Amino acid sequence: MAALTRSNKSSIPSAFWPLLALTLLGVGLAIYRLVVGLGVSTNMSDHYPWGIWITVDLFLIPVAGAAFTISLLSYFMGREDYHSIIRPAVLAGFLGYGVVGVLLFLDIGRWTQFYNIFVPGYINLHSFLEEVSLCVTLYTLILVLEIAPVFLEKWGYDVPVRWIQRGIFVIAGAGIVLSMLHQSSLGSMFLLMPHKLHPLWWTPALPLLFYLQAVYTGLGATAIAVKLIWKAMGLPIDRVIFRRLGQAMSINLMLYAAIKVGDWMGAGEVPMLLRPDSFGLLAWFQFLIGIALPLGILLSKLVGHTSGPFWAGVFALIGTFIERLVVSWIGLAEPNPVSYFPSFTEIFITIGMIAGAFLLYGVVVRYFKLFPDPEHAHA
Amino acid sequence: MTLSRRDFFKAAGLAIGGAFIATESAQAKPDPNEYAAMLYDATMCVGCNACTNACREWNKTADEPDARLLYDAPSELSADTWTLIQLYQTEAESSFVKRQCMHCVDPACVSGCPVQALQKTAEGPVTYDQDRCIGCRYCMYACPFHVPRFAWDTAQFPVIAKCTLCADRVQDGLPTACAERCPTSALIFGKRGDLIADAEKRISENPARYVDHIYGKDDAGGTSVMYLSGVSFDKLGLQDLGDKPIPEISEGTANIILPGVLIGAPILLGMIRMTAKRGGWEETWPL
Repeated sequence: MAALTRSNKSSIPSAFWPLLALTLLGVGLAIYRLVVGLGVSTNMSDHYPWGIWITVDLFLIPVAGAAFTISLLSYFMGREDYHSIIRPAVLAGFLGYGVVGVLLFLDIGRWTQFYNIFVPGYINLHSFLEEVSLCVTLYTLILVLEIAPVFLEKWGYDVPVRWIQRGIFVIAGAGIVLSMLHQSSLGSMFLLMPHKLHPLWWTPALPLLFYLQAVYTGLGATAIAVKLIWKAMGLPIDRVIFRRLGQAMSINLMLYAAIKVGDWMGAGEVPMLLRPDSFGLLAWFQFLIGIALPLGILLSKLVGHTSGPFWAGVFALIGTFIERLVVSWIGLAEPNPVSYFPSFTEIFITIGMIAGAFLLYGVVVRYFKLFPDPEHAHA
Repeated sequence: MTLSRRDFFKAAGLAIGGAFIATESAQAKPDPNEYAAMLYDATMCVGCNACTNACREWNKTADEPDARLLYDAPSELSADTWTLIQLYQTEAESSFVKRQCMHCVDPACVSGCPVQALQKTAEGPVTYDQDRCIGCRYCMYACPFHVPRFAWDTAQFPVIAKCTLCADRVQDGLPTACAERCPTSALIFGKRGDLIADAEKRISENPARYVDHIYGKDDAGGTSVMYLSGVSFDKLGLQDLGDKPIPEISEGTANIILPGVLIGAPILLGMIRMTAKRGGWEETWPL
């Protein structure tokens, strides 16, 4: 990251070539997957119909949710101090959703008719997968509008920039509504699997838990990114933003913890937590590392330092990753378990697409105005 | 400015919510007792696999032979094997059990399918339309019976495959191919209501022979393929799923969340924004 965003424009950053190589490898493997099919290129089977791509998508969507949380805080709650991080957050969100979209496209078997999800006569409003597909598509278009001024102003198209600025509340508002829907619906997708998903994770409150998780994960990802990028660019760090990110995070972590513990107790699942099997341990690990630890950091004096929200973000992201991994992969039991581990193609397509997103981010940072000038950073 | 924007969102939300409720009420449910159905009596099955062969012939699915290519030997459902007989055996007891799509009265696969490629037809079968299917495989996870299979080895445009309850035959008034072929009448075809009455009669006439339960009568909200057995159903891989339809919680949540967020969230955003404009957040909320 640091190497990518170095403001020295004369030389190509050292991270460029490896990222480019990984991206090209990923693109090549993606074409290979489309030609030979899922059976040959992946290790998915009738026992594991979803693999690493779905798990990565389920994790990337809340991380890229940073764009929506920051929009809410800055546009609607009147937090002017967040304005300096809107653009970096929205671009990260857009590229994150781009990766999600590409991986989903590669994952569906009948990709030549992916557009069926938009055909009015086919749409199933009861299907949370349909809802996620529609909302993610529409939200990606919203992110295009939100990030467009970065490019339009550089190329001198002032009129459309003014239109977007005038309509920003409607645009950002629609983005927030769509995000609330699909972030929660990602959890709702698993409501259809009460007998398959492990009971410590399955609950009717899944939509609410996934939504709260998306909010604190997005805020955590923002804290991590702001610290790394600001440091790399040599911008003065605004401590106020960190404290506010940390406080907003802590509220959502507390709500999540309360619902999670309440659900475990209400459903009588506490004995399962005390059993020394791998799921009981995993639930403990997720709760202690992903919820309790970041909450402890944020409720202490550390919230006032940049490293507090930064580390809280790191641990919260680990917790979110565990939850999404269990829900989409290891917690979905089959009667005759056949093991699944992603193939070389699955792994390197995933890495390649993420590398491509970093590459594009670096290019935009280098050639467009994504960050405020240092003298305005304190505003 | 704020007010008009709020009104706009409100109107849009109401329109979307209204359309949603309209599509909801348009669907009247047929009587499940009239559905085409099958009753499998495990105590009468001799495991001859004639049903599997009849299914292959009618649906033109490929054999899955053993390593020596001597015997069609599928061990579980696959994209090519839509029904098969499995054997549960211990020293104390044994039973055959037939596997195929259960054709739920309220199917989770149909509820989950984003593009309505899976549908519950008025006659009872759950059918699949490959021209709609995008290959997302959500149905495979939604199904509590682990039935839908995916044609992984097809390089281009693999399909979801499962028993169709011979929807094409049922439409013409014919029984399913497997039930027609069964030599011991362990598998019979008929109207769901009639088969339930038949099954109840068998249990009451021969209580020692059967577990006192018709699996599928109420399980998972009822299925069109029902089972009688002499050994407990969970040993045959027929899990206790409760009597509620699997999609109940998911669809109930969809009915609340979709209109709720589409109408409620814009109003909430408008209120948050107005409060912020008056400077309210600075005083009341320290973030």
